[in-house]
Amino acid sequence: MWTRYLAALLLVCAAFAQEDMPPAGRGAGRGGRGSTRDFLGLGPPPDAAAAARGEKLFAPNCAFCHGEKARGASAPNLVRSALVLHDERGELVGPAVAKGFPDKGMPAFPNFTPAELADIAQYLHLQVELVANRGTYKRLNVVTGSAPAGEAYFNANCKSCHSTTGDLAHIGARYEPDQLQNRFIWPAGGRGGGARQKVTVTLPDGQSIAGTIRKIDDFDISMTDSAGVYHSWPRDSVRIELEDRLAGHRRLLDKYSDADMHNLTAYLVTLK
Amino acid sequence: MKRRTLLLAALACLLPGQDSPPVNSWPTYNGDFSGKRFSPLTQIDSSNVGSLALAWFYRINNVGPQRGVGNPTIKSTPLMVNGVLYFTIPDHVWALDARTGEELWHYGWQDKGGHLVGNRGLGMYGDWLYFMTPDCWFLSLNAKDGKERWRKKVADEKLQYFCTMSPLVVKNHVLVGVGGDAMDVPGFLESRDPETGDVQWRWNTTPRKGEPGADTWPNPQAMEHGGGMTWMPGTYDPELNLIYWGTGNPNPVFAGQGRKGANLWTASIVALNADTGKLVWYHQPSPHDTHDWDNVETPVLFDGAFNGKPRRMLAQAARNGIFTLLDRVTGESLVTKGYIGVNWMKGIDARGQPIPDPAKEPQVDGSLVNTPGGGGTNWPPPSFDPETGLFYVNAKEGYGVTYLTDDDPEPQGYGGGGGAGLSEPILAAIDYQTGNLAWKHKYPSGGFGNAFPGILTTAGKLLFTGDPSGNLIAFDPAQGRILWHFHAGSMVSNGPSTYMLNGSQYLLAAAGDTLFAFKLVPSALIPIPNPHP
Repeated sequence: MWTRYLAALLLVCAAFAQEDMPPAGRGAGRGGRGSTRDFLGLGPPPDAAAAARGEKLFAPNCAFCHGEKARGASAPNLVRSALVLHDERGELVGPAVAKGFPDKGMPAFPNFTPAELADIAQYLHLQVELVANRGTYKRLNVVTGSAPAGEAYFNANCKSCHSTTGDLAHIGARYEPDQLQNRFIWPAGGRGGGARQKVTVTLPDGQSIAGTIRKIDDFDISMTDSAGVYHSWPRDSVRIELEDRLAGHRRLLDKYSDADMHNLTAYLVTLK
Repeated sequence: MKRRTLLLAALACLLPGQDSPPVNSWPTYNGDFSGKRFSPLTQIDSSNVGSLALAWFYRINNVGPQRGVGNPTIKSTPLMVNGVLYFTIPDHVWALDARTGEELWHYGWQDKGGHLVGNRGLGMYGDWLYFMTPDCWFLSLNAKDGKERWRKKVADEKLQYFCTMSPLVVKNHVLVGVGGDAMDVPGFLESRDPETGDVQWRWNTTPRKGEPGADTWPNPQAMEHGGGMTWMPGTYDPELNLIYWGTGNPNPVFAGQGRKGANLWTASIVALNADTGKLVWYHQPSPHDTHDWDNVETPVLFDGAFNGKPRRMLAQAARNGIFTLLDRVTGESLVTKGYIGVNWMKGIDARGQPIPDPAKEPQVDGSLVNTPGGGGTNWPPPSFDPETGLFYVNAKEGYGVTYLTDDDPEPQGYGGGGGAGLSEPILAAIDYQTGNLAWKHKYPSGGFGNAFPGILTTAGKLLFTGDPSGNLIAFDPAQGRILWHFHAGSMVSNGPSTYMLNGSQYLLAAAGDTLFAFKLVPSALIPIPNPHP
């Protein structure tokens, strides 16, 4: 049953998002900070230097009422503020800070210079970006498990294919912990990526051709042989043997507890 | 007024029992009010489907890459009225000759923001078309020439609302919903006047302080920023005068610690009075959702037997992996069952709703669930075939790891996201009476993301859909055998549809930037004597 090998061919969907929008990334590539910002229609990106200056003004003057990260305290949340979201370069935030809203209890801050007001606006836009733009999100600490328990799990479940002194030597130095965790959970990579699969195709005359799959579906199979030559056949005209290099990973997916996953991560990160 | 009369006549045809689309038109997103996407047409059938041939194709060649999403992708289901097709992508509307594919007119909109993730199509009332722009303008266009009649603002794109829905026309109501989950805005559904575009009623998907449902939120701040978008067209039962709508996930999306409780009426199926927008009943397949599992998938309406008794029912296959069957008169739960793995739930409550397992919420160090990233399915339309009694959905089996990235007691935005995962694409045929799979087809190629082919079934004993590698496929709906395919080059990107025109049954499907129309080659219409009777 070739369906046993299905898992090896399937690509990963790491895209979590409302309906079908580009995935939240880790700050680079597709779904990264810039492309996600563009997708969201967030307007010009915040000026990091201005935001850093603005933070120094915000902290002593505004944070007491509006919260350390401008998410609100006794005074409103400014990250979700319609005024802030409609502002681009301080044209709305500046006058609001300078004049205040005396009827709502916010005093005027007439002593800020126009440049300082613009810097405060940029600080707020950075806070908006850190919330709205999931291309900026950073995973927190994934190394929470027990390394000895992870080593025992590794010895029981992974050792028949992998070696910590061979293919996995120094693996903990090659990847960030969260990347490492994601790679062992399902190594086939992101959508459109995936491990290239080896295949042997046997033709009706008995000739066998080994190579790497380009595409396989219910109707056709195509591959590139070891000499780099492209071949394609109707599925029902040839016999296909696939080498499923991810069968072990697929089996473990049905077995992992979250603790197993965290323990294994804690162990693998020690393989510096 | 002739066209208007014709359209109203066409709509009237499908009102009694609203069994299936009228044969000579496709006047709404789903073809009819029921959402079954089952056509009574039989010219193309399981015996002659091998003789389907391309009649024409239309490729979008005057738009170019769209902001943030790349090449144009047709996700809309075209309307077909009086021999004219009307279809959309974000910011654009076209009218084509349904027989030849010739472009009749094109309308372009310059957005000032919003997400260009997709557009599901148009609503139609008389000679007027209704279109939502990415920046949430509600437009009325003249179907004759595509000229704009008026525009009305529905939501503020600066607050990260965006609009993708095909407006749904029910009586003299144009129903419009919104999307938007980046900045914790509240969801709502509006009924608008077809002549003026003015608001007739508005239903909020989350309660305000002191209203019913408020006890499922910790505080007014949480529910007023609690999400629950309405970005897919619902369905309608004219005899009950109820509209059925799926609502989106709560906000913040992955971080639930600031919104403890069930978070009504997010991630729910609701029945509203079509004239007043008043809530009649609700059912919540994803209480306190923390996985971005919008529950907007089509609530499909059909009548039939359940435990030997006739019932008026509603079925849905949701992003969270759950198949739901309800009595659509009362909202009574009849079936709640995973059509894929659903280890995020601990059981079923007294209302028939899943009980989520808090341990499987997104965690700082990652939580693994056997419902794949993005969910088991998404917006692409499913189909119910009354002749097989099976509910069909393109779906994904697999696993996903989710992370909490905002561990603040009052998180904002998404607050988390997905990591690694496995997605194995399948076509599932679900027995509505049990929720069990009658059959499933595992596609050998690639995976489904969050956009993939929808499904059409017909009385010709055919099921049309697509696979991940760009094939439009006809299946036998009873057994799941493949009967025909056409390699479209890109994955089928909308729900296939069908209509009768000038004596020919057309099959219509979009793949990426191209619409393909098929009909039988003439020789296939001549009965061939069976040489081996």
